Formats: sequence, C-alpha cells, structure tokens
Amino acid sequence: MQDDTMWGNIFGREEKTEYSIYAVLAKIPIFRGLTKREMRSVERILHRRIYKEKEVLFKEGDPGVGMYIIEKGRVNIVLGTEEKLLASLSNGEFFGEIALLSEIPRTATAVAVMESSILGLFQSDLFGLLETNPGMGNKILLKLAQMIADRLRFSNIENQQLKEKITEFEKTTKDGKKT
Amino acid sequence: MDLTLGRFLRFIIVVFVLAVIGWLLYTLSNIITIVIISALLAYILDPFASYLEARGLSRSQAASLIFIVLILIIGLSTWLLGGKLYRELSSLQQSTSMIDSSRVNLQDEIKETIPDSSGASLFQTGNSTEKEIRFLDDMENFITTNFSFIVSSQVNLQEKFRGFTSGISEQIVAFIPNMVSIIMVLVIIPFVAFFLLKDGKEMKKQFVSYVPNRYFEMTLNVLHKIDMQLGGYLRGQFIEALIIGVLSVIALGILQVKYFTIIGMIAGLANMVPYVGPVAGAVPAIFVTLANDGDSMKLIYIVSAFAIVQLIDNIFVQPLVLSKSVNLHPLIIVFAVLIGGQFFGLLGMLLAVPTAGIIKVTSMELYIAIRKYNLI
Repeated sequence: MQDDTMWGNIFGREEKTEYSIYAVLAKIPIFRGLTKREMRSVERILHRRIYKEKEVLFKEGDPGVGMYIIEKGRVNIVLGTEEKLLASLSNGEFFGEIALLSEIPRTATAVAVMESSILGLFQSDLFGLLETNPGMGNKILLKLAQMIADRLRFSNIENQQLKEKITEFEKTTKDGKKT
Repeated sequence: MDLTLGRFLRFIIVVFVLAVIGWLLYTLSNIITIVIISALLAYILDPFASYLEARGLSRSQAASLIFIVLILIIGLSTWLLGGKLYRELSSLQQSTSMIDSSRVNLQDEIKETIPDSSGASLFQTGNSTEKEIRFLDDMENFITTNFSFIVSSQVNLQEKFRGFTSGISEQIVAFIPNMVSIIMVLVIIPFVAFFLLKDGKEMKKQFVSYVPNRYFEMTLNVLHKIDMQLGGYLRGQFIEALIIGVLSVIALGILQVKYFTIIGMIAGLANMVPYVGPVAGAVPAIFVTLANDGDSMKLIYIVSAFAIVQLIDNIFVQPLVLSKSVNLHPLIIVFAVLIGGQFFGLLGMLLAVPTAGIIKVTSMELYIAIRKYNLI
C-alpha cells in the first residue's frame, strides 16, 4: 500500500526509510531511551528547515519557542552587535532547548555558517505530544529536567570556583597593598 | 511623478484583488459554508481524538471511531426524533400555506353553494381568516385617514400580509426538492470533517513548511496561541448550544408547545448569537402559542421557562465553558450577524459570531507577534 494514497493513510503507514533522522535523534540526550515507535512520533512533530549560508535562525531578543537540532551543517551562536562567537555547533548538536519549557527571549543570535539542514522541535508540538502520548512526553520531560539539573550543577560549580577566585584575588590585592 | 503613478497602480491592484476575493466569497458561499462547518466540527472533535490517541489508538483509528459513534448517535436520534421532526415541519408548512389559500377556497365554496349571491356579504361573516382581512382593512383605513401623507396604494396591508405568508410557505416548499442537495451536504460535511480531523496536524505541518524561514517560528507561535484561545471558545459555544437546545426542548415539551422539537433546537442554535440569540430563541415559541392557543397564562409559562434556561446557562454552563477569552463588542456582533446573513443566509448569521471571534483572535495574535519579532 502506498503512503500517498488516501486509504493507505487510513489503514497503515509504511515505515519510512529515513534512518538518518533517527541516528541524529538518538544522539540528542532528551530523546535517549525512546523506542523506535516513539522516535517515529518525535519525527512526525519535527520541522525540517534548510538555511542558506549566513541566514539567521533566530535573533537575540526574539521570543524563544523551541529548540533546534543540526541534522547537517554548521551554526554559530553569536552575541551582541559585535557578533562575539559563543559556540560553533555542527552535525547532531542542538541549541535553544530551554525555550521548550518557557517562552523566554533568546539570549543570543544563531546564524548558519554554511547551507544547513536543521530540525526544529517546538513547545506547542511538545505540549501536544504530552496530551496524546503522556508516557513518551514524560520520558522527554524527565530527560530535559535531568539535562537542566546537570547544567545547574555545572553552573553552581563554576559559580563556586569564580567566587573562590574572587576572594583569592581580593586577598592578594589586600596583601599587596599592605606590603 | 513615477512614485505617484506607482502608488495609484498599487491601489488599483489592491482594490482589484479585494473585489476578486469578495466575488469569490459570494460565488463560492455554499462551498465556503460547508468548509467552515466541517472545520468547526473537526476542531470541536479534536480533543476526543487526542484523548483516544493517548489511550493508544492511532490518529486514523481515533478519527474513524469518533465518526462511527457520531453516525450511530445521529442515526439513533433520527430514528427517535426524525418522524416527529418531519411531522412538525410538514404541519408547519401546511399551516403557513393554509393562511394564503383559505381565502380563495372559502370564496369558491361560497360561490358554489350560493350561485345567485355575489358571495361578498357571506364572506364578511364569521370566519377567522375573514376577521384577519377585516382587521387589516381597518388598519389600512386608520393609516390613510390619520397619516394623510401616505398614499393608500402604498399601504395595501392585505397584499403585503399575503406576500409575507406565501413567502414563508414558498421557502418551506422549496426546502423539500432541495432534499437532494441537503443529503449531499450531509454526506460532504462529515467526509471533509473526517479528513480534517485525521490529517489536520499533518496539513498544519505542511502549511508551516511553506512559510519562509524568517517568519516560520513566529507563524508556529501565532498558530499555537490562536489554537489555545479559540479551542476553548468554539468548543464552549458548541457545548452551550447543545445544553440550551436540550433544556429548551424539554421545557417546551413539558409545556406542550406545538413544534417543540424544532423550536427548542432553534433556541439552542440561536443562543450562539449573543444578546439577540436568547430573545430570538423565545420568539417562535411565543408566536406558535399565540397562533394556536392564545392562552396568556401559557405565554407567561413559556417566557419563565426561557428565563430559567438562560439563568441555568449564566450560572452553571457559561463559567464551565470558558468562552470569555473572545470578548466581542456588541456592535461587532450586530454587524457580523448582518454581514453573515447577507452573504450566507440564516446559517451565515449563526456562523457569524464564531467567525468574527476567529478573525479577532487571529488578527490580535498576529499583531502582537509582529511587534514582538520587530517586523514593524
């Protein structure tokens, strides 16, 4: 039964042979642990977009409503008008995942360095998935929470280290003044 | 000079495009009505499909199951109420056409029984239709004597009354040969609604894929916001109409009002139009009672029954259906109902308010998004 026929749609959908997309998704932490069937559900809500070289994915200050996964290509994350490079991401890497949970303004600008195929996962679709497939939605949300917890722990450590460095620096400057 | 010419040309093009859109809307009004009803039906049923999907069914299975249940419900209600509805409709048709034909029949009968007399003197006595005519004659005399600026030929109330009653009966008579197209619509609407319910999400994804990268995120965001606001509103309207309809049918049934099934259904549907709807729903019941019984106590009961139904709606139903997100100004409602009626008839009047709600929410969300994304 063909996929594009009307009844083909009703009585069953043939498995798509786009294995590359599953290989990309399997690398993303929030999709780890999903079954093949669940991966197919995720694939159905993803939006594949092709960006040309130097095309902007989103601008700093825009309302953030979802995350992007690089299927193929390279994207630079830059800050401010001087376009200070924060990160350069390529195949299988992702960014903007916090926007899946709350609509906060983008903190940086994302620009395609070369022609890139990008997969977008958006808050509205994720919420829809939570409604229609709560079990799978919970798996994704748990992974997302774990990822954010890991990042928070890492930020705390970094914060602690910075604080220690500042006190050490203040100590040495005070000692220097005394001598 | 070139700039002015360019602007003028652009203006002409915009006017032309608007005229074409208007013409298309008018010409395809029947198809547009079918599409709007199907889309509304699919949209109202969407949460049920999502619920079934959450229970492990695929979207296709969920949509099929919903439509099988829906067909069973409609079939069962037709089996239970269909005969009664048909009898009420044909009785209504007979009584309206009777007003028109009774005069002619009466005159013929008189001429047959008393051939020597002109029949005119006998015609002046005793019959209720004759009373109506005399009343209209008196009215005419009163108007022409007291308001001399009105020419008597302009008044001619009898002619107008006859035109009005025959107009109604013609509309209802025309309704019967239209059964074929009604059945067509009854088949097409569920068919379109089924595919919109089954493939709606895929269609939305497809539509979004055509949006340029620059506006893509904004479009997704706007569609989601519109969905959040309209979902509750439209489903609320539907549930409210259903509850009011059922309550009205029960209340009018208890009060033994003639044609209570049709009148109750009309009251439920009319309730979708704010301000005017609740009153418009009660008017047919009052008219029918006036025409058949003329019992003033019954009228008081009917008005009280409608007041109680409205009270139940205001206290229990409205807070539950959460339709407050789309607050339309009374003037917008009145104009929307008039425009809907002009383009799409009675059905257009009913669909006008939800459509105005859709247009309001869409333009508002679009405007907010355009501002947020610094596009203007």
